[in-house]
Amino acid sequence: MLSTIERRLSATLRDARRTAARRFLVDRQTGLWRSELAWLGVRSRDHARITAVLDETPDTRTLVLEPPRGWVPHRPGQWTRVEIELAGVRTSRCYSLSSAPHDPELRITVKRVPNGRVSGRLHALRAGDALRISPAEGQFVLPTHPARLLLLSGGSGITPMRAMWRALLESDAADVVIVHHARTRADVIFGAELDALAKRRGFRVVVRLDDEHARPGEGGFDEGALRTAVPDLFAGSAGSAADLEEREVFVCGPPAMMQRVEAMGLPRLHVERFAAMPRPAADPDATEVLVTLGGRASPSGRTLPARTDGTLLDQLEAAGERPASGCRMGLCRTCSCLKRSGTVRHAISGAISDAPDEIIQLCVSVPCTDVELGPIVQAAVHSAMPHERAAERTLDPREKLARRSTQKVDPR
Amino acid sequence: MILDTQPIETSGRFDPANGTAKSVVTSDATRDVTRSPMVPTSELRPSHGKSSRRLSREESDALGRELDAIRAEVLADLGERDVAHIRAVMKASGAAAIAGRTLLHFGIDPVTFVLGTSALGVAKILENMEIGHNVMHGQYDWTGDPALRGAAYEWDIVCPGDDWRSSHNYEHHTFTNILGKDRDIGYQFLRVADEQPWEMRHLAQPVTALALAVFFEWGVGMHDLRVAETTRGEQSVAELWRRSGPFLAKAGWQVAKDYVVFPLIAGPNAPRVLAGNVLANVARNLWTFSVIFCGHFPEGVRVYTEEETKDESRGEWYVRQINGSANLDGSRWMHLMTGHLSHQIEHHLFPDLPAARYPEIAPRVRAICERYGQVYATGSLPAQLADVAKRIVRLSWPRRGKRAPSAAAA
Ligand SMILES: Cc1cc2nc3c(=O)[nH]c(=O)nc-3n(C[C@H](O)[C@H](O)[C@H](O)COP(=O)(O)OP(=O)(O)OC[C@H]3O[C@@H](n4cnc5c(N)ncnc54)[C@H](O)[C@@H]3O)c2cc1C
Ligand code: FES
Repeated sequence: MLSTIERRLSATLRDARRTAARRFLVDRQTGLWRSELAWLGVRSRDHARITAVLDETPDTRTLVLEPPRGWVPHRPGQWTRVEIELAGVRTSRCYSLSSAPHDPELRITVKRVPNGRVSGRLHALRAGDALRISPAEGQFVLPTHPARLLLLSGGSGITPMRAMWRALLESDAADVVIVHHARTRADVIFGAELDALAKRRGFRVVVRLDDEHARPGEGGFDEGALRTAVPDLFAGSAGSAADLEEREVFVCGPPAMMQRVEAMGLPRLHVERFAAMPRPAADPDATEVLVTLGGRASPSGRTLPARTDGTLLDQLEAAGERPASGCRMGLCRTCSCLKRSGTVRHAISGAISDAPDEIIQLCVSVPCTDVELGPIVQAAVHSAMPHERAAERTLDPREKLARRSTQKVDPR
Repeated sequence: MILDTQPIETSGRFDPANGTAKSVVTSDATRDVTRSPMVPTSELRPSHGKSSRRLSREESDALGRELDAIRAEVLADLGERDVAHIRAVMKASGAAAIAGRTLLHFGIDPVTFVLGTSALGVAKILENMEIGHNVMHGQYDWTGDPALRGAAYEWDIVCPGDDWRSSHNYEHHTFTNILGKDRDIGYQFLRVADEQPWEMRHLAQPVTALALAVFFEWGVGMHDLRVAETTRGEQSVAELWRRSGPFLAKAGWQVAKDYVVFPLIAGPNAPRVLAGNVLANVARNLWTFSVIFCGHFPEGVRVYTEEETKDESRGEWYVRQINGSANLDGSRWMHLMTGHLSHQIEHHLFPDLPAARYPEIAPRVRAICERYGQVYATGSLPAQLADVAKRIVRLSWPRRGKRAPSAAAA
């Protein structure tokens, strides 16, 4: 009883302190001088500091980070959103944490993709630099009581696996199979660690390399490659199902590899995608449908034609709309929007949404029929253009009032 | 922010059927302009011996396209430089505030009092003009930095940010200088244009204007409460009360900060701190009042009627912004201290471009105005201020004022 009152009281006091700090512009001052304070060794709530940069392969680096103040330990396999400024614009990308929760420091391991904006910049950072990182997120995590596991990765997809195997080393899980695929030996991220791991009891490590194991002209990873790598997992002991059917399988790798593994139809499959599937080629059978945008100022809203072989986000943008978006692959929900009516297909899972008033993500929704959407959150960029205000001129006062209230809607 | 993004193209008639604007431009841009459909009902007042040529819709739209091109160019070029600028100003203002308050709180001599008050005044001016006003216009929304988010910024004056965003960003910038729609014309109690009907109370306006200058932030804060409308019976008292809520809350915090808490924590120095804070706020008020009055009310800036702006195209909207604003000449520092409102014309054309870009594009805007025969009003601060003062005094008398239709109807 007393403790409830105490808790309430302290919460009220904390709120009051925050409000006062805001109203007295103290928080603005601390925000302004944060980077200077970081230099003095004061840790901030949303910045991690790079303490070391490790070269893993010619195109991959690990950033060792001092976690932000108040960091909640992640679960092995989760990712964080890293935010940096590119030409003045805050830009964020997800990176799996390659360290285990019990490790003293945080790590992300970044492969530089050709022309990659964020990965390129991250590779230019040095010890001492600061990065804004979000709390860890993601469902691609080890089960609480892991039994038999297969960690299947390709290329940079090994990063969440490292967090997992390091966590498993601390537990007493007895049966972990790690299959990793890379182009050449030099491209194997965490190669030395994998070698050491192979000697541990309960761990079995198989590394497949395109240039050593694949027949010329072939490449990539498929069911055949997995069969050659771990044939015994495909054989069931007398009368029982194949080993593989009973394993928790975690897979993360290039889109083509993921697609092939998913096609195997394993019952206990967990997937993590780093990059969206390559865009489907224009489908000659695609038809044209109409998309109506609702909740707009103009009484009629706007109706535009769209095709059934592209995502709503791409097509709305092509039509000059500026819906807010983030990851563009169905993760962050920045692009979420109410669908009033019509049918859309999920571009990745193929799931169909045909019920009215469902929330959909524009970046992974492909229209199948005419679609009517609710209000669309606009991208923050240049949102207050004068021609939009000029458009308001002709509105009658009632609409004006309605707009005034919508203008205050917070996009976040 | 949910905003309409339908493209309203220059010279466009909006076609709701396909959501695009159809161009109705004729190639003959130099046709007889006297047959223009847009005939102003009020004569242009001469400005420094010149007045703007009346433009046909086609000419206005051609001018609009040239301005759109400048706008697109700046948008494409936004980057690190703009962010570095605004952050540097934020740090300068923050540092000046800390320095000013420190000097006021811990000094005992008159020298530190003057220095401290000046530093605090400069901090408040920068915060209001270059940071607050511009950030709240959404000029830095593209950065994605929450500290630079227009919809969330709260500035260091008694006017609540949300009120300002609706009354200034929307009403004033959309209906600039349209009589009866732009509530910023004389702030509903000063007569600053001949077209405004004269009333008895205008006799006192030289004094009320001075009072407004001293208490400017309170005027700005109460602007959106619509007190005048309430006394005229156009707004209910209940509505006035509703509108007062956010203002009273914000004003309460501001008063508590500058006039109660900061003096109290200064202990024996309380009177000194109180005096310094009052002076810093008044200095800021006088400065912002001067800059803003010079932006719209010097001689040569004209007002419009609702009638003549009814079917305005985007190009004509641009023309109105040019003729409804006036610039101030000055050095780089002067521009910074006015929050670049010394480039009022550029600001009204492109309210959402980072203001520090206005000096860069000003020569091109000016050249366009010259080519189209539009007055690009500009002058030094003292000259423009004298102009405004003369106008306020002159218009306090009914002499040249036209009898108002509203007065006749009443
Ligand atoms: C949940 C999640 C976890 C992730 N974890 C990691 C991680 O641990 N380590 C890591 O290195 N990356 C990881 N990624 C990928 C990372 O977020 C970025 O997508 C990647 O670094 C590229 O960003 P960029 O800004 O450099 O490239 P962009 O500038 O966005 O893209 C440049 C070009 O590269 C292509 N491209 C984008 N991503 C890839 C890719 N992964 N492979 C090949 N080409 C690509 C784009 O199509 C484009 O043509 C993860 C992504 C997700 C969603
Ligand atoms: S943009 Fe991230 S979910 Fe669609």
